[in-house]
Amino acid sequence: MNPLQTTIRHAPTGPVLEVNGDLDYTSAGEFRALITALTLQPGQRLVLDLTGLEFCDSSGITAMIVARNHVHAADADIALAAVPDHTLRVLRMVGLDQILALHPDSEAATRP
Amino acid sequence: MCRIGQEPGPHDADNEDDEEGPTAAFAALLEDSVEELYENAPCGYLSTLMDGTIAKINGTLLAWLGQERDAVVGRMRFTDLLTVGGKLYHETHFSPLLRMQGELSGIALEIKEAGGGRIPVLVSSVVKHGGGGEPQLIRTTVFDARDRRAYEEELLGARKAAEQARKEAEADRARLQDALAVLQQSLLPDSLPSVPGLDAAAHYRTASPDRLGGDFYDLFPIDADRFAFFLGDVCGKGPQAAAVTSLTRYTLRAAAVHDPDPVSALTTLNQVLHERYTGGDPRYCTTIFGTLAPDPATGRVTVHLAAGGHPPALVLRGNGKTEYLPTPGGLLVGVLPTATFTAATTVLEPGDTLLLYTDGLTEARTGDDRTALYGDEALLDFAADHAGRSAQDVIQALTGLLDDLGDGLDDDTALLALGAPALTPRTEATA
Repeated sequence: MNPLQTTIRHAPTGPVLEVNGDLDYTSAGEFRALITALTLQPGQRLVLDLTGLEFCDSSGITAMIVARNHVHAADADIALAAVPDHTLRVLRMVGLDQILALHPDSEAATRP
Repeated sequence: MCRIGQEPGPHDADNEDDEEGPTAAFAALLEDSVEELYENAPCGYLSTLMDGTIAKINGTLLAWLGQERDAVVGRMRFTDLLTVGGKLYHETHFSPLLRMQGELSGIALEIKEAGGGRIPVLVSSVVKHGGGGEPQLIRTTVFDARDRRAYEEELLGARKAAEQARKEAEADRARLQDALAVLQQSLLPDSLPSVPGLDAAAHYRTASPDRLGGDFYDLFPIDADRFAFFLGDVCGKGPQAAAVTSLTRYTLRAAAVHDPDPVSALTTLNQVLHERYTGGDPRYCTTIFGTLAPDPATGRVTVHLAAGGHPPALVLRGNGKTEYLPTPGGLLVGVLPTATFTAATTVLEPGDTLLLYTDGLTEARTGDDRTALYGDEALLDFAADHAGRSAQDVIQALTGLLDDLGDGLDDDTALLALGAPALTPRTEATA
């Protein structure tokens, strides 16, 4: 079990949230609170950099859907960067790879 | 004993030469006289003859008793001051021990007030011996233990209250468990219906007994010739998840009767869930929904199904071949206002079994460090070993597998096996 750690940096395209550790039943609530407290301008893009994501369960998947709904409500967009294989497999299984933009890394995800 | 300064005592006559020194002034500040100290000490003093007759008693104890000195000295015994229980204890324990040991300390007794009340006290006694070693009298100190008794009673009361609270909490918990079990059962069929030309078996395993699970399955008739089935997994756990499970189950049942096409049924469920749980608290599920059309003439069962966000069904062929029935690209049900679901069709020959499962099984943690997942490949291999067996046998084997996975199961697991019964070998039956 790895505690969830997040850091936010700002790119020209909008906020980039680096997610490290486990996004699971115990940490998803905190993550959802963090996401929904973010203010996005219309046209901005929230990038979740998942390079350091160790584990993601269905609660984590729900948190990503919450993030998507939150940014869409602000007429902004969301993209995932560097999705680890274990999570990519789940995203494909549940069809979310069709509705969340996936990028190989945060550099590609923050290209205007 | 540590003496501070010099108290006036029986040997003060020896110190009279020091009267003018600072010690004397200090002593004068401390006590007026030995008699004064004895009479008004903060504890009771009494001296009794060896038969218990009270020879001397101080004012403090007389005040506690509410007695006059004349009524006590030479007229009463120590035991006359005690309650009935105290008297008994004195006769059976206190007195024999005192005679044996020559002293006793801190014995809890109760003395009687003149008004009828009782005062809890702590009694210490010592036997004074004469020059020849013969016992002369008993000196006794009596400490007021009312505060201490009150404190003990408070402690006892607090302990009783805590015990009561614990019992109530346990009862509440048991009641809640019962309620949860009933609710959980309402989310699943009591038993699978008997379907002509079909073998069906199911199993449900909760990962935690006090958290309502979000897995569900069902099998029910939709018209004279067809049955519908579904199996799925609602996101989250607990009462909120159970509410979604309930909504999902009854929506799918109603949708199936209205239009049994699998993609239509899932589309209806998607609209209902999305409309109901729109906003900041999305609720969704993964589902496989399908219809079964057994053909009595051939023993075959035609399966039409569609899936949204759910791991693919497995087909265990009677000839030993085992394969996934892929339904890629189907989206989680309830996430988007419009969603696509992927349909698939297969025909179960006699001896074939269709297996539906939730990801509690494939996502079970395995290995010594519990970091590896059981996975799709392992399930495929396991199923292949049981191809050609009846639905009941397949479920039984998987139940054993879940037992083996033990606490590696983080999530609930639902299993549903639907098989076309193997044909009874007629040549043998008629031979």
